[in-house]
Amino acid sequence: MRFMMIQFPKVYETAKPGWVPDLKAMEVMGKYNEELGKAGVLLALDGLTPPATMSARVSFKGGKSKVTDGPFPETKEVVGGFWIIQVESREEALEWASRIPASDDEMVVEVRRLFDLTDFDPEVQKEIQKKFGDAEKQ
Amino acid sequence: MRFMVIIKSTPESEKEGAGRDPQFLHDMGKYNEELIKAGVVLAMDGLHPSSKGARVKFSGKNRTVIDGPFTEAKELVAGFWIWKVKSLEEAIEWVKRGPSSCTGDFEVEVRQIFEMEDFAPMLTEEEIQYKIAKRAELPNQTANK
Repeated sequence: MRFMMIQFPKVYETAKPGWVPDLKAMEVMGKYNEELGKAGVLLALDGLTPPATMSARVSFKGGKSKVTDGPFPETKEVVGGFWIIQVESREEALEWASRIPASDDEMVVEVRRLFDLTDFDPEVQKEIQKKFGDAEKQ
Repeated sequence: MRFMVIIKSTPESEKEGAGRDPQFLHDMGKYNEELIKAGVVLAMDGLHPSSKGARVKFSGKNRTVIDGPFTEAKELVAGFWIWKVKSLEEAIEWVKRGPSSCTGDFEVEVRQIFEMEDFAPMLTEEEIQYKIAKRAELPNQTANK
């Protein structure tokens, strides 16, 4: 089963436009990422720029959309990046999440299961496969 | 440039069996087909409700695992796309064209993804190329598409 590990770094709540992680933090995280890769559990990963750099929110209310440019100073828990891993169980996913090298900053990592094709009814599965085929497999 | 387009949870998406309403699935499927035809989509996935998830809180050396659901959290993720577009404006245009059959109010967040080149002042060209090559080996990595 596939899990998404979503990182919520504290520093993202106040990061200035153009912020990048420091070299030391990148090296430490790079090592962890290599471990994930070697273990054959890593499917994808990416880091997001902080909301101050380039971002927007589109809220839909009663079918009408409203665009708000970032940053979002009132927001706690901003997504900083993610990993998608393929593991045997929720416990294994939590095991990997606990090994993420956190810097001195406080951080929260959320571990969430992704929907797989087999979660849907058989008829819906067929329709999804027909429509998206390889796109769904990515 | 690549953007992560995050669909925030709603009371509906947090319910058990969420994301399986036939009308919603149909409309979302149509929208996704349009996105794919336009060559915008690099990846997309939906997340199970947070009741099945967990959080790990990091504080110094401590790790605390908290089981879902996270009812107090306002920023829960329900699903995401990764898009390749020319600008933030183009991404916003696509978001606005999303299916209107989504019941109730909801919010979508559009965030730029770091590319290895963004680290050019810190990393050498060699290090950047090494990281790009390593990432390209990953089965579902979108940066190499």
